[in-house]
Amino acid sequence: MVTRRDFFKITGTAAGTAAVALAGVETAQARPALDPDRMGVLCDFTFCIGCRRCEYACAGENGLPQGALESYDDKSLLEKTRRPDRQTFTVINRYPALAGQSGSLDVKVNCLHCEHPACVSACPVSALVKNARGPVTYDASRCIGCRYCMVACPFQIPAYEYNEPLTPRVMKCTLCSDRILAEGGIPACVEICPAETMVYGTRDALLKVAHDRIRNHPGRYVDHVYGEYEAGGTSWLYLCDRSFQEVDLPAVANQSPAEVTEAIQHGIFRGFTGPLMVFILTSVILKSAGKGPGQAREDKHE
Amino acid sequence: MRSLVFIVAAAFLLTPAGPAAAAGQHGQPELPATRAHMPATSSCAQCHTCDKPTAAEPCLVNCPRHGGHFYGSHDVGEGPDVVVIGQLANLYKPVVFSHKLHAVMADMNGGCTNCHHYSEQSGVIPPCRECHAVDRQDADLSMPALKGAYHRQCINCHLDWSGEGSCSYCHEESGSAAGAVVHDPTDIVGIQHPKIEAVETYTYETSYADGPVVTFHHADHVEMFGQACVDCHQGDSCKRCHHGENQAAVPRTLDHVASCYTCHAERDCGFCHRQESTPRFDHARSTGFDLKDYHGGVSCQTCHSTPDHFRTPSSRCGDCHIHWEVGNFDHALTGLKLDDIHVEVDCTSCHAGGDYNRTPSCTDCHDEPMLPKQWPGTGPRTKM
Repeated sequence: MVTRRDFFKITGTAAGTAAVALAGVETAQARPALDPDRMGVLCDFTFCIGCRRCEYACAGENGLPQGALESYDDKSLLEKTRRPDRQTFTVINRYPALAGQSGSLDVKVNCLHCEHPACVSACPVSALVKNARGPVTYDASRCIGCRYCMVACPFQIPAYEYNEPLTPRVMKCTLCSDRILAEGGIPACVEICPAETMVYGTRDALLKVAHDRIRNHPGRYVDHVYGEYEAGGTSWLYLCDRSFQEVDLPAVANQSPAEVTEAIQHGIFRGFTGPLMVFILTSVILKSAGKGPGQAREDKHE
Repeated sequence: MRSLVFIVAAAFLLTPAGPAAAAGQHGQPELPATRAHMPATSSCAQCHTCDKPTAAEPCLVNCPRHGGHFYGSHDVGEGPDVVVIGQLANLYKPVVFSHKLHAVMADMNGGCTNCHHYSEQSGVIPPCRECHAVDRQDADLSMPALKGAYHRQCINCHLDWSGEGSCSYCHEESGSAAGAVVHDPTDIVGIQHPKIEAVETYTYETSYADGPVVTFHHADHVEMFGQACVDCHQGDSCKRCHHGENQAAVPRTLDHVASCYTCHAERDCGFCHRQESTPRFDHARSTGFDLKDYHGGVSCQTCHSTPDHFRTPSSRCGDCHIHWEVGNFDHALTGLKLDDIHVEVDCTSCHAGGDYNRTPSCTDCHDEPMLPKQWPGTGPRTKM
């Protein structure tokens, strides 16, 4: 005899199992393949001098409020932790020197352009798209303003123009997609950086460079390239002299959050198999459940 | 229950196969056991110029950047006094880099390799631009272009100790207004670090009950004992002096005084830890031997050749002045010029047992009735 509790147990397990079973097949088919030579940026925090030229160039490139170049010499802003917002796609934050060492650390914060972005997965209208060449691009004309992307992002990057009542947009780094998708262009922040803190190139080549640096300069870095595996990998890769959590980069799982949610969602509904199974199962249970009490009643009559 | 088993079985059947085996790795080149290959870097072309390098003909590029390829010993004085960097003449006036100043100060921390990470086998240090191209090199992402290379060398240090990171600290715009500082390379040829006005004496209060006061006479060590900065300040960066904040807060540990042990290895605690501060070193007071005119200008090491020798100094002149003998010692320096007869006499004939501290008496050699009216020589005691 199946109790009410057993019913939920069985149906729940069935749905979950079906989802997991179908996950791998489904995600592989759902996502467009990334270009093997897709581009990325390696950002080595140990070289950053906190000049904020990248903030200046970024603002100019993206039509954001841009002060005079001299105004970016104001280093007092570095002292408090800032986040990218609707008017600033990238910010530099300063962290004090490690104990016993000299030199503070300046950390650049912006959209990491995930390999398998949760924001793209969450967007119901494909306003956000992962370009095969690397950048996660945004099409304001498609956006319905649901802001699921903001909730989905493991790095809490997308910002929203709450101040625009009629044409609000989701605002985040574009990886200068207009520039880099045209031949020979490089992101504005990379181009202006006087210390070559950032290197622009294919993601594979950058990973090699990053690991070479760690190996060739022991003691200078922690043996960790942030973005190599985080959230399923990101187009931006970071090198740092300390744990990335100490510079407020979140410890996110190596699996993309999108992979988990897509596995469940796509798994359940793929070819209607999951719901059909639940339907069949439910029918079977209900049938046997209907028989049980009936027999009991017959027994009672006897 | 049977239906549940069916579903689980179906799930396993539908599960896709695991990821394919990892792709094969590009193998390391095989080399004779005696010559290990460097750790693999980004690409072969980073170090080799030809497609198929062999052990016999490795066709190595001129400028491998990693692994401390800095050959030969270089002296601070070897380098140029100033380096004028004029690659951006269209934008800025040339940057005048005071090389000697940096070289001298870098001697305390890292030396030449602080900036020069590569030199040729012959010891020749190529200019930065020989390897670092002016434009970004997409083909080799591991090496910064010239601008990045220069800026990394300069700005990171200068930010650290002086907080100076502005462009104008080094660059002056070509079209800058009159009245701005114009660098003239000839003005600062041989520029040195300004004389460091160190505190003459440091007095530390310690928690050591038997001798809470430690007195360190910095001036004695520099001026009298001839210690070079690097002897004690090994590993110190510019920031140690140029930061201006909480130097007093730097904890004084035994590590801090490690350099003291180089000379004072066998001293006990009480050598430094006293009940009260001690005066500066005075040779006459501490040892009973007044250095007077001649020995005052001589460095400690001339007489005390090793640290051990400080503890057992000889009071016998001949132990140091081993080359003095009849014919090459000007006795007039002592204030007494010997006459022709006595100048030929062996030193120890008058100075019995080589004891030159004791002034000899005529009666040591001569019977009293034979004493001349005057000393066997002329001249008052004169200074050189």
